[in-house]
Amino acid sequence: MINTLWLAIIAIALGTYLMRALPLVWMTRKLDKNKSNTTEEMPIWLTVLGPAMIAAMFGTSLIPSSQSITTWLATALGALVTAGIWYWKRSLGLPVLIGVMIYGISIYFARLYPIY
Amino acid sequence: MTQAIQTHQSQPLLTGLKDALPLMGGYIPVAISFGLISLQSGFSVLETILISTLVYAGASQFLFVAMVASGAPMWLVVVMTLLINARHVVYGPNLAPYMTKSPWWLALMHGLTDQIFALAHTRLPQLNEKQRICWFTGASLLAWMSWVGGTALGAIAGGELINQWPLLADVLPFALPALFLVLLAPKFNTKIWALTLGCTTLIALIIKLQGFSNAAIPVAALIGTLLFYVVKNQAKWSK
Repeated sequence: MINTLWLAIIAIALGTYLMRALPLVWMTRKLDKNKSNTTEEMPIWLTVLGPAMIAAMFGTSLIPSSQSITTWLATALGALVTAGIWYWKRSLGLPVLIGVMIYGISIYFARLYPIY
Repeated sequence: MTQAIQTHQSQPLLTGLKDALPLMGGYIPVAISFGLISLQSGFSVLETILISTLVYAGASQFLFVAMVASGAPMWLVVVMTLLINARHVVYGPNLAPYMTKSPWWLALMHGLTDQIFALAHTRLPQLNEKQRICWFTGASLLAWMSWVGGTALGAIAGGELINQWPLLADVLPFALPALFLVLLAPKFNTKIWALTLGCTTLIALIIKLQGFSNAAIPVAALIGTLLFYVVKNQAKWSK
């Protein structure tokens, strides 16, 4: 049983690694063949699918782990503030930091003064 | 954004570490809960840490321990977890144009998670060729260490931690959507991209709310990509 378990872990680890690494090798060879190093050489669907995956991950990550009116409102507020700070500063770290702080403060106060 | 890169141009490794800091907020709490759940499912501390180190893919690890604990046949466990991780195949090719000719890139691909891809997709084009590998090493190593460290913490002291800091465990995961939002924001500069990404976000959210957690990301991304083609072709025809 233990051996089967470890074989499974190794198969999953190896399979996951190959799914991360092999497509890169394929694309690098394709770019080399065409002696180009730009995104223009990539199929359009691939350049769209990448950002679309990020958007999909954004969508799923917005759902709070414990769903309630409070956590949804805090999520909306945190996201709005994050977007606002990004628009103002155009940086990565600060909008995330302030967004998390606003989300945390909203949850904290909502728990102190619950609206029922 | 360009300004922030210029400030740290001489230390791309540090820039990578700094850029990956928000990821820690998302990774550590999730890794702690993985550590906890894995132990509750009957795995030892060492096994739990090794799973996080070797597999290093959140959703599939949760599914793995749950399926093993429920006594599912091992071949099915392997197939299901690999299916969840199949989304990773589009990440490498998207980054390929920005990668230099170093064999290290291949080894570094172990660290190509969803979030590192999102981060690299924004950052790599802004860096010059020499800086890219150092930046990627810094960012991906910090993320990997956070995941493995968080798992160890969860496996060893998870129960106590959650009891003492319940709010922290609820709040820190918001770093993930906040980070994705910041990574997507610059793409909303044209109508076609705003429509594609806005709809994809909404569709993924709805699919996950319906209970299809694992299908949400690939299905929504595929619909979004199709939508992009439809809008693009319609614009061509109306000309």
